[in-house]
Amino acid sequence: MLRFDRRLLLNFDWVLLGAVLVVALVGMINLYSSTHLYTNVGAPLYLKELTYYLMGAAIVLLIISIDYRVLLTLNYPLYILMILLLLFAIIFGRTISGAQRWINLGFFRLQPSEPAKLILMITLASYYYRKDSGKGFTLPDLAVPALLTGLPFVLIAKQPDLGTALLLGSIFVSMTLFVKLRRSTLATIVVGGLSIIPIAWKFLLKPYQRQRVETFFNPENDPLGTGYHIIQSKIAVGSGLIFGKGYTKGTQGQLDFLPERHTDFAFSVWAEEWGFLGAVLLILCYFFMILWGLNIAISARDKFGVLLAFGVVSLIFWQAFINLAMIMGLMPVVGVPLPLISYGGSSLLTNLAALGILMNIRMRRYQGTS
Amino acid sequence: MLKKRIDIAMAIIIFSAALLVARLWFLQIYSGDEYAKRAERNRIRIQDIAAPRGNILDRTGQSIIINRPRFNVVWNREDTPDQEEDELLKDVARILKEDISVLLDRIRAATENPRYMPIRLKEDVDWETLAAIENKKISLPGVSIEIIPSRDYRYGDFASHLIGYLGEISPAELKESRYATYLSGDQVGKQGVEKIFEEYLMGEKGRNYLEVDVRGFQQRQMQMQDPFPGNNLHLTLDIELQRAAEEAMTDKSGAVVAMEVNTGNLLVMCSTPQLPLQEFNGGRILTSAWNRLLNDPLNPLLNKTIQGQYPPGSTFKIVTALAAISEGVIKPDTTFFCSGSINFGNRRFGCWKKGGHGTVNFQRALIESCDVYFYTVGQKLGVDNIAKYATSLGLGRKTGIELEHEKGGLIPSTAWKRQRYKDKWHEGETLSVAIGQGYVSTTPLQLCRMTAAVVNGGTLYRPQMLRSITSPDGKTLKTFDPISEGRILGSATSLALIKEALVGVVNSAGGTAKVVKLPDILIGGKTGTAQVVRLSQVEGLGEKAIPYKYRDHAWFTSFAPAENPEIAVTVLVEHGQHGGSAAGPVARAVFKRYFELKNGKTTTENAPPPVAPDEKEE
Repeated sequence: MLRFDRRLLLNFDWVLLGAVLVVALVGMINLYSSTHLYTNVGAPLYLKELTYYLMGAAIVLLIISIDYRVLLTLNYPLYILMILLLLFAIIFGRTISGAQRWINLGFFRLQPSEPAKLILMITLASYYYRKDSGKGFTLPDLAVPALLTGLPFVLIAKQPDLGTALLLGSIFVSMTLFVKLRRSTLATIVVGGLSIIPIAWKFLLKPYQRQRVETFFNPENDPLGTGYHIIQSKIAVGSGLIFGKGYTKGTQGQLDFLPERHTDFAFSVWAEEWGFLGAVLLILCYFFMILWGLNIAISARDKFGVLLAFGVVSLIFWQAFINLAMIMGLMPVVGVPLPLISYGGSSLLTNLAALGILMNIRMRRYQGTS
Repeated sequence: MLKKRIDIAMAIIIFSAALLVARLWFLQIYSGDEYAKRAERNRIRIQDIAAPRGNILDRTGQSIIINRPRFNVVWNREDTPDQEEDELLKDVARILKEDISVLLDRIRAATENPRYMPIRLKEDVDWETLAAIENKKISLPGVSIEIIPSRDYRYGDFASHLIGYLGEISPAELKESRYATYLSGDQVGKQGVEKIFEEYLMGEKGRNYLEVDVRGFQQRQMQMQDPFPGNNLHLTLDIELQRAAEEAMTDKSGAVVAMEVNTGNLLVMCSTPQLPLQEFNGGRILTSAWNRLLNDPLNPLLNKTIQGQYPPGSTFKIVTALAAISEGVIKPDTTFFCSGSINFGNRRFGCWKKGGHGTVNFQRALIESCDVYFYTVGQKLGVDNIAKYATSLGLGRKTGIELEHEKGGLIPSTAWKRQRYKDKWHEGETLSVAIGQGYVSTTPLQLCRMTAAVVNGGTLYRPQMLRSITSPDGKTLKTFDPISEGRILGSATSLALIKEALVGVVNSAGGTAKVVKLPDILIGGKTGTAQVVRLSQVEGLGEKAIPYKYRDHAWFTSFAPAENPEIAVTVLVEHGQHGGSAAGPVARAVFKRYFELKNGKTTTENAPPPVAPDEKEE
């Protein structure tokens, strides 16, 4: 299996790699700006991020050297591992800003909800690949994937991490809509989905989560409380104007008005310092990378590759869209990082692994299903 | 089929990207300017820099008062996370050695101010506290040191009634239009010169534009607008003379006023006991200290030079004498016989010299202060004639000095009594008025001005205490010329006669103020004793046995040099009993210093003539 085919190298997706490197470079440049004033102990954060990139490169190399179809056999062990990690995080995890999200591995603090996104996606892709009869799925058919999604969803929502839970839901919905559904099933899901919203609002959301949503619609009501993030982020982005305030010259970011500026709000720093031009350029780059992923899905050699590639696309897309919409004040503040731009090892490694899977599928597009 | 679904996904992704770009356009271009402004407001804090207050100098250019920095501990509430407030205040209270309730009171008092305005937790802290706060700055977010220029009262309570003091502007003052440019927490003149000439002294505030981070810590200075110092006030006051007066008044309650007779410029304005400036502590006087001052029988809160109203006693004989000669009621050689008392109606009016003065002429009557002579003269004049002259000499009304709360005193007349008491004037009351008792009351400043007018040839000047105002770079902005209020009644000959007699009071045998005499300088003056209670209440008691508060007030009003008078000095010693012996030496000390300074040498000081215990004059 480790036998290396020369054609794989010929078919390697240099375009995707190039796009990833450009975005990653932007992320590093931006991370330096947002963290160079920090006086934390230990290595500067951009150096830490660089080591995560090196770890990520190793993981990508590992992933592309093994045919992605191995995931069909690995997916349930991975799924079980993920559930265990999530349980572990809830029981023993470190509490950071009110949520139990971290597992301390000594050299690395793992946030299991990050790989959970990827593993759920792989699990769903495997399930749909195996069960697809070509006639379209019925509602009972969806019970199993719904349960597979529901379990990590509940565990993550319990941490509580509404953003990631929401993301799992988004991945599930995207992938389920992508595979063939019967029309009646689709209609039922739409009606059922709409009717569940008020119930979820009343019983499932925690008070602080409801407050966040309420604040989103009226941020000025609470400028020092939860509305603060949205207001400061909009000021940062808006005050960047066309050309930006210049690298490391953003007042909102450099003077600490922007919370979480190197993680969830990294794009605000970028938009403030590089202006409309820089922000649009990054978005174009980013969405080119995502659309290229769809291209990979189309050209995949088998149905599993299609599903998997589409899963990666939806994983990256939803994270990016939710994060950017939140930064620009189009959505309530939920903790979803911007892949490759926000600082954080767990998120970076997960997303690099996902991109590695994309590369893997692309490299093997001409191989026969043996 | 697959292609179609991929196309839908692509459409959704492209639409999302377009949505985000449109939103970026809205934020950064359409409303970019608005957000740029908000970012500026976020990071820039404007800090006022108090302007150094103008200096106050005496007539020779010596500073009476100077500025020194004052360090206040302030708290910017916005910069402390809410949950840390209690802990922080506890820490600060410990460093300031204050009870936490004191700090909480301060904070409560500031609730009406906008939240971003720093609250003063303690004023004028010492170096140790300053250092302690600076050292712990990191663990005390929001707490900082504010430096404001403040007054250094280098001569202690020197001329404190006149100069006044500074204090934090009160909410009531903030509403007045004259303080329109002031902000809560600013220092403002609270009394005296500091208050009246506030507009000249205040200067212009500077502004410091600071870039701050989200916790309010200063990152860098953007721009600084220097404050413009206030203008300097040159007073007519003379530090040396004022000090001489204050020293002479040590342990005495009363007032000293000295004036240039030909300008109305005030050289000394001394009221004792002094206003204890330390107690006022920047306007934050303790209630207990305030109450103590308020209830002090010596009335330290009163500026006795302009607010103390006392019967002028025998000093008023100058008025009666002027009226009598000018109206032709008597001639200079008119004599009356003093047997020690006079009967009028069914009442006996006594002379202070119980044995009587015998036959006295006009001059002897003034020199020896014979009451019987002036009873008789007053009777001939009538109260309205006396009132006419007294009013022309500036008595019974405010002098118009630029100080607050001046009192006018009272000169009675038949019209006044009718209006005030709906009663007719009794002739017997005229006798009391003629020797400055009864309803008559004057302030020390009025008597001083009167004396100046009598000896300067008859011009009544408005008392002034400001010579000029100069800018910080030394340019003269404004000078103050003497203001004449017209001529007093009375002919030049009658004024000369009175002046001659007043010189005799100090210099001739039998004069009531021989104790004042200086070797080189000819001084003239008039003593006075103002009854506090009716004589009968203390009759028969020895001088020492009379309770302090029933003892008579002692007056001495005077001028020098006699040949060509330059300066008039009026002294009042409350309950000093004898004008000559209690008030006279104070005036003498002022004259002595004045001529020492003028002639550039110390006058040959002979021991003052032995003070023969004067007989008590009335």
